[in-house]
Amino acid sequence: MQKYKTKKGLLIAFVASIFLVTAGCSNDDAASQSNESTEGSSTSITMSWPRDIGAMNPHVYNPSQLLTQSMIYEPLVSYEEGGELKPHLAESWTISEDGLEYTFKLRENVKFTDGSPFDASIVKKNFDTIMENKSSHSWLGVINVLEKTEVIDDLTFKMVLSEPYYPALQDLAVVRPVRFLGESGFPEDGDTSKGITKPVGTGPWILEDYKKDEYATFTRNPDYWGDAPEAEKVTIKIIPDAETRVLAFEKGELDLIYGEGAISMDSFNHLKESGEYKTDLSEPVGTRSLLLNTTNEKLADLNVRLALQHGFNKEAMVEGITLGIEEKADKILSTNFPYTDVEVDAIEYDVEKAASYLDEAGWKMPSGKSIREKDGQPLELELMYDKTDPIQKAMAETLQAEWSAIGVKLNITGVELTVQIERRKAGDFDVDFWYNYGAPYDPHSFINVVAEEGWGVSEAHSKLPMKEELNKQVDAALASTDETERQELYGTILKTLQEQSVIVPVSYMKKTVVYQNGIEEFVFPANRDEHPFNEINVSQ
Amino acid sequence: MFIYLIKRLLAVVPIILFAIFLMFALIRLSPVDPAEAYLAAANIHPTDEILAEKRHEFGLDQPLLVQYVQTVKKIVQLDFGNSYVTNTPVWQEVATRMPATIQLAVSSIILSIVVSVPLGFLAAIYKNSLIDHLSRLLSYLGASIPQFWLGYVLIFLFSVKLDMFPVEGRGTWQHFVLPSITLSLALIAIYTRLLRASVLEELENVYVIYGRTRGIKEKTIMVKHVLRIAISPMLTGLGMNLGKLLTGTIIVEQVFSWPGFGRFFIEAIFNRDIPVIQGYVVLAACLFIVCNLIVDLVQLYIDPRISRKGMAES
Repeated sequence: MQKYKTKKGLLIAFVASIFLVTAGCSNDDAASQSNESTEGSSTSITMSWPRDIGAMNPHVYNPSQLLTQSMIYEPLVSYEEGGELKPHLAESWTISEDGLEYTFKLRENVKFTDGSPFDASIVKKNFDTIMENKSSHSWLGVINVLEKTEVIDDLTFKMVLSEPYYPALQDLAVVRPVRFLGESGFPEDGDTSKGITKPVGTGPWILEDYKKDEYATFTRNPDYWGDAPEAEKVTIKIIPDAETRVLAFEKGELDLIYGEGAISMDSFNHLKESGEYKTDLSEPVGTRSLLLNTTNEKLADLNVRLALQHGFNKEAMVEGITLGIEEKADKILSTNFPYTDVEVDAIEYDVEKAASYLDEAGWKMPSGKSIREKDGQPLELELMYDKTDPIQKAMAETLQAEWSAIGVKLNITGVELTVQIERRKAGDFDVDFWYNYGAPYDPHSFINVVAEEGWGVSEAHSKLPMKEELNKQVDAALASTDETERQELYGTILKTLQEQSVIVPVSYMKKTVVYQNGIEEFVFPANRDEHPFNEINVSQ
Repeated sequence: MFIYLIKRLLAVVPIILFAIFLMFALIRLSPVDPAEAYLAAANIHPTDEILAEKRHEFGLDQPLLVQYVQTVKKIVQLDFGNSYVTNTPVWQEVATRMPATIQLAVSSIILSIVVSVPLGFLAAIYKNSLIDHLSRLLSYLGASIPQFWLGYVLIFLFSVKLDMFPVEGRGTWQHFVLPSITLSLALIAIYTRLLRASVLEELENVYVIYGRTRGIKEKTIMVKHVLRIAISPMLTGLGMNLGKLLTGTIIVEQVFSWPGFGRFFIEAIFNRDIPVIQGYVVLAACLFIVCNLIVDLVQLYIDPRISRKGMAES
């Protein structure tokens, strides 16, 4: 009997020790942290985010989150409403007439959170480490044309380009990689691509506490050079599941749910209709489009492309699938980006017109059949969509039904996202979904992929009769140093693209926010990736 | 006993090799190119030259057999490579998330045992009584309610409406309650019925009648003899489920924002983080095997007849 008791005791001790050991691996702060609700300090904000914030390294990408990187690190130039570029860490700048030299006068008395000064030498040091890993940043235009950087004096920094590239300043406004880490954050060898020692920035927030996959707490930077945010503390809880986020919000554990796709469209409308919370939609952050590949002989014909565009009820589809959260798009780029306010004719839903375009193109409906034919070939196309994206799937199914009514057989194929990208790049598709990049990347990144091969967009346009001319116009616009000339070039390019209908705009995507009544005002940041916490007014 | 143990341990080797082969084959069959996946995660624009360079670096240009041998070699040395996304060793990433998963697995198993053993046992002894009907109802519910739905319902009722427990996260004992119940209900459903059936079967045995005629106390017969033998099938199930729970309870970890192994795996799938997926599959196989082995040994201890049978066969 004694033997049994000892064994039972051992078993209990074993189970208890598993708990103690595993609990020892966790930080006890988690307890106090996760219990803390919004009822605490009246000037604290608790928000959820689907993924861990990652290493707070300003010069790396995934898994670091743009939202939190932008809380700590700041740019030389900031992107504001309507694409206006405003001084940030650079107080002013001059551009040489040939568009090759950018000289920045840096803001005085700016300090990193380690107490070190923000000056031209640290700016150069950051640029140097970024350029050491150029291949990781080659997607950003300015990196490809950056020839050298110079320290002119303590507060003057110069950037020399190998060729004129007007969006250089826009590129400096992006959240990564061109933001600045303080001296004590650099590793010994100065190469930040392998990691940093600590997150030291000049921004309004300091990372105070962090537990991987659970939460991150930021406090207001007391020495911040700019206007101090109203909230004293921001807690970001990592909640991967969208429905759990809504439940945590309804319980009051969260002050706001913000971001693209942070909440399902159903839940957004449910919270909005409850009348208990405040909700808002941002200006368009990007356009959801269809890409029609002209390397396919059928789609090389403008009449077919126009017929497809006239052949579906865009408004009903967008309203029905996105429950009113997205807005029907008539223009390829929404007009809240610079240079995009161009007069173009919207292509409206008109089945008869669609049919006449197809007739004109020689695609006739044989009697007794439901698919149009030309030279014995049926008008059959394939639409590729990301099978994990419910909106793409629903839109694909709608298009299949709508286009069959005009005699077009649409086969829809759900693929893995990586396969979708791979096939798009290889030009191996008829119709695909495509999105532009948003602020501050557009419109220059958009016209760049229209001209530059390797992304699938230029390839899709390749059979346009004016493609060569279009490429020249894009190159000229990107290199242009004259504002009026640039506006004209953008006008011409966007008009051509719109008329050619290779990119069919479907809807304008928007960011959503849902917040508790304790938050008085919420302003969406103009830069798609920037955090919103500086502009949040919290009631006392 | 020792020979039995050695035999069991030797049998583990081909199983693990098969698991590695299966994982290797599935990854090669998937349309995702590891080199592309790496470049996408590292945010490098995949030009043909960089792709070729990466394919060479990962050994993807080697014959399949060579690639397989290399994979086995590395895994045997517990080298799963670095995560494409975080650039840190997979092993390290797993180690930081294991404590959370182990805690949740152990608490769920304990809760399942604490509820299902008395319930199943009493349901058998008091067959067709109220407690038997109740256990049946609980089993039906446990077997038919999907876990993600149960999780949301529990959060809605006990967290949002009654404010008894936190919605998500980890840290205090309160955080364990809802995820443990969510995970346990299905287990309780199975174990209760399993135990009930096997107790009823044991009660028919001669040794029970013999014990009674010898005047042994009913309680002693039930607990020391019937339950001890009847619990065997439940232990087997427990071992399999412990392995399942330890490899991360993917849905529950996601719903309750539990920072464990399963949630990490889901993220790896979305990021096409192949070294992590590879590491997860092999570790999961090992965990299953080890858990089953432990259960077999426990059974051996509880019911020595198994050992004798094993030895007789050998």
